Amino acid sequence: MIFEEIYNTYWQKIFRLCMGYVNDNDIAQDLAQETFIIVWQQLPKFRNESNIGTWIFRIASNNCLRQIEKEKRIIKTELPINLKEENQESIEPKIQMLYKFISELPETERIIISLELEEIKQAEIANIVGLSEANVRVKIHRIKEKLMQKIKENEQ
Amino acid sequence: MNNNDIDFATIWQQQKVNQPNIEELLNKLKQFKKSNLQKLIISNILLLATSGFIIFIWYYYEPQFITTKIGIVLTILAMVVFVFSNNKLLSVFNKIDNTKNNNEYLQSLSELKTKQKYMQTTMLSFYFITLSLGICLYMYEYSSIMTTGWAIFAYFITLTWIGFNWFYIRPKIIKKQQIKLDELISKFETVNKQLNEKE
Repeated sequence: MIFEEIYNTYWQKIFRLCMGYVNDNDIAQDLAQETFIIVWQQLPKFRNESNIGTWIFRIASNNCLRQIEKEKRIIKTELPINLKEENQESIEPKIQMLYKFISELPETERIIISLELEEIKQAEIANIVGLSEANVRVKIHRIKEKLMQKIKENEQ
Repeated sequence: MNNNDIDFATIWQQQKVNQPNIEELLNKLKQFKKSNLQKLIISNILLLATSGFIIFIWYYYEPQFITTKIGIVLTILAMVVFVFSNNKLLSVFNKIDNTKNNNEYLQSLSELKTKQKYMQTTMLSFYFITLSLGICLYMYEYSSIMTTGWAIFAYFITLTWIGFNWFYIRPKIIKKQQIKLDELISKFETVNKQLNEKE
């Protein structure tokens, strides 16, 4: 698969994963860009043993997790961010709220629910995160309950 | 409100962002490659310049004693190793396979930080020992021309300074570095526990 194809297929998905993780448009764009740089670097090493989607989501979610280290370092990524940005102000409050609630979850739960909402098979999620499928199923169920709870609290 | 998965997923997928042009990304990639190459060149130039400097001192000042020569080499070696371990070397150790699953990745991250902690401490001690040894050896030739009193005085001053560095500055730096890394390690471990807690 050529890089350009991957880029076009996965950009939005990866962006959403990052956005769910940090709930900050700029940082999410940075993270998505970094992901594609890693993908580009690692692509020659990709063997068809695993699904390319799984492979890319692993890179993306690991990169998000590594964000923990960067928060501490304060220094912002060297990668340029001034790719043209349209303002995001217009997004619906419903979307904003969902992303906000997700980004408030514990780190790994953010990743799991993002993948689930991206409609990735639970077997694959298990493979990306490194848990058993049964475990993933239980977790997704719990996370959804948590989200529902938050939404209800918010409505009151 | 009756919510099911579809609600969430639909809302989730409505989040769109402008996809940066692929050309722009490819340009960034080129720059990225270039800057990596530049870093490599710069560190090599640094190494060559240092070697050149050692050779220059060696020939120009023509020290008579072998101790002086060893001293020069050790001192400069200490500095080079220090600079390298702070920049280049660490990035070599920073490489983790980022195509692992999250669970394994988090484990490697905390292992990496533990290793880094050890590396930093060892490197710093190595730096101080080599530097001190280098200076003491270097001084020997010149103090041997001095009167005994002055020679003792010179060594006394130097050793005091070295002692101050070793017993005060060094532990302070190490402590500072370790606090930072310990925080990271415990954070990575906490996140990893999220995955492995018993349901």
